[in-house]
Amino acid sequence: MRLSRGVAVVGAGMTRFHHRDHADKASRELFVEAATEAMGSVDNGLKPNEIEALFVGNFSSDLFEGQTHTAALLADWMGLTPVPATRVEDACASSGVAVNMGVLAIASGAYDVVMVGGVEKMRNLGTEETTDTLAIAADAAYEVAAGFTFPGLYAAMATAHFARYGSTWEQLAAISIKNHHNGALNPKAHFQAEIMDTAARLGERQGMKFGDEMEFLRSPLNPVVAYPLRLFDCCPVSDGSAVVILAAEEVARKFTDTPVHIRGIGQASDTMALHDRGDIATLRATRLAASQAYGMAGVEAADIDVADVHDCFTIAEVLATEDLGFFPKGEGGKAAAEGRTSLDGERPVNPDGGLKAKGHPVGATGAAMAYEMFLQLRGEAGKHQVDDAMIGLAHNVGASGGTVVVQVYGR
Amino acid sequence: MVEMTIKAYGDFLDEGRIMGSRCRGCGAVHLPPRPVCPECGARDPEWVELRGEGAVQAFTVVTVPLTRLKDRCPYAVGVVKLDDGPSVSGMILGVAEGSEIAVGARVRAEFVKEGERTALCFRPA
Repeated sequence: MRLSRGVAVVGAGMTRFHHRDHADKASRELFVEAATEAMGSVDNGLKPNEIEALFVGNFSSDLFEGQTHTAALLADWMGLTPVPATRVEDACASSGVAVNMGVLAIASGAYDVVMVGGVEKMRNLGTEETTDTLAIAADAAYEVAAGFTFPGLYAAMATAHFARYGSTWEQLAAISIKNHHNGALNPKAHFQAEIMDTAARLGERQGMKFGDEMEFLRSPLNPVVAYPLRLFDCCPVSDGSAVVILAAEEVARKFTDTPVHIRGIGQASDTMALHDRGDIATLRATRLAASQAYGMAGVEAADIDVADVHDCFTIAEVLATEDLGFFPKGEGGKAAAEGRTSLDGERPVNPDGGLKAKGHPVGATGAAMAYEMFLQLRGEAGKHQVDDAMIGLAHNVGASGGTVVVQVYGR
Repeated sequence: MVEMTIKAYGDFLDEGRIMGSRCRGCGAVHLPPRPVCPECGARDPEWVELRGEGAVQAFTVVTVPLTRLKDRCPYAVGVVKLDDGPSVSGMILGVAEGSEIAVGARVRAEFVKEGERTALCFRPA
C-alpha cells in the first residue's frame, strides 16, 4: 500500500484529559477548546476557511450524552459549516481511524487541509452505566450476554498470556508505575502524580503507610476490578478532546517550517469475539496494521524512537509492545519491568503517561496520540520529551482488538 | 432448515442443546453458528450439535459488574475451548476467586435460565 501524495501534521491541540475539570462541559465545548488550540498552534497561521473537511472520532455521544450526528454538530460549533463533516465510530480506535481517513482524503487529492479530531464526554454516567456502555464495544450477543465486562476481556487476555508465557502481574504493575511517572510530567494528563504520592495521599485517609509502590499496589487500596487486573491496571474514565490539522506535503510548508510527516499508516480488523481468535494472547490486527505502516514508511520496529501504544489496561501495553515487534512474543512485560520502555530506556513507550495515566476519553484517544507525536517529533514535549526522537509510532486499538490502527510519523 | 440466527441459537440453548454451524464447503465448525464461513467464504452451513465439555482457555473473575449482573458479583466468566473444536464465552459457575480456577481446567456445560433466555454456562468438572 502506498499513498498518491504525502501528508503532514501542521498543528495539534488537546484539552487536559480529566473528569472534574470538565464537569460543566459538553463534548462540543471540549472539541472547540482542542480545535482552537490546534489552529492556534499552526506556526504561520491557519484561517477557518482553509479547512476543507472534518473527520471526528466519537464512540458513544449517543449513550453518554443523548446526542448523535456529532460531526455536523462539532463543525457547526467550531464555525466550520458547511465543510463535509464525518463521524467515525470504531470503539476506542475511533479517532485513530479518523486520522487515517483524513490522510486518505488528502492523499486522494480531494482536499489539501483537513481537521481531524476526537472527543468523548463520559462522566455524565455512573460507574455501572459506564461499564454497560463500554461493554457494548464487544460482541453484545455473545460476549456481553455471557457476562464479560470490558476490563474482563483484557483480564482474560492476561490470564491467557500469563499461562502461555509465564508473564506476571508484577510485570503489569511495573507498567502502571512507569506510566504514572510519565503522566506526572505531562500537564495534559488526567493523573499527574507518581504512584507513591497517590499511595501516601490515599494511605493517609485510611491510616496506612506504604514502603514502596508494590506494597501499595498489593494492598486493599488497589482493589481487583477483574481478576487479575486491579484498579491501577485500568485507565481512568476521562472527558476530553484532541485535534490535529493535516495538510498535503505540497502546502504544508506554507503553514510551518517544521511539519511532522506521516510516513506510514495501517489498519486491520479482527473477529469481534475473543473466543473466535484461537490465540487470545496476541492481537492479530496489531501485527497486520503495523506491518502495513512499517512497509509504507520503509522502517522496521527497531527504528521507532518513541511510541504511544494503546494501554487501556496494563496487559494491553504488553501485547502491543510484542505485537508491534518491539520485543519478542512473551517478553513485553519483562522488558517493561527491566526499564527498557521507560522515558530514558532504549525504547520509550507512552512518554505522555499512556491511557493509564493520561486518561482515555474513548473517542479522543487516537487523535491525542497524533497530538503527542506532533510534540515529540518537534521537540516540544517539555518534561516528557524523548531525546532526539526522529521516528514515532501511534497504535490505537478498538475494544478487544477488533480494530487496530497504526501511524508512523517522522521529522 | 432453521436459519442461523442469534435467536435460533438461543432457542436451542432453551432445549439444552449447543448447536453450532459446520461449513459444507471446508468443514470448519463455528460456535455460535454463522451464516458465512470466515475460512472459505461459503454460505452453505449445516447445524451441528456439540458436546458441552472442554477446557478453560482464558478467564476472569468480575468484581465491577454489568448492571444486569450486580447481584451475582463476584462471578467468573471465561473462554472455553470445547473438545469438539470451537471456543465460546460463558460464565464459570461456582468460582468466586481467581485462585479457584486456572487456564487449562476442565469444565462441563450447564444451561442456566436467566429470565426469558437460557445462558450457556460452565462448571469445573
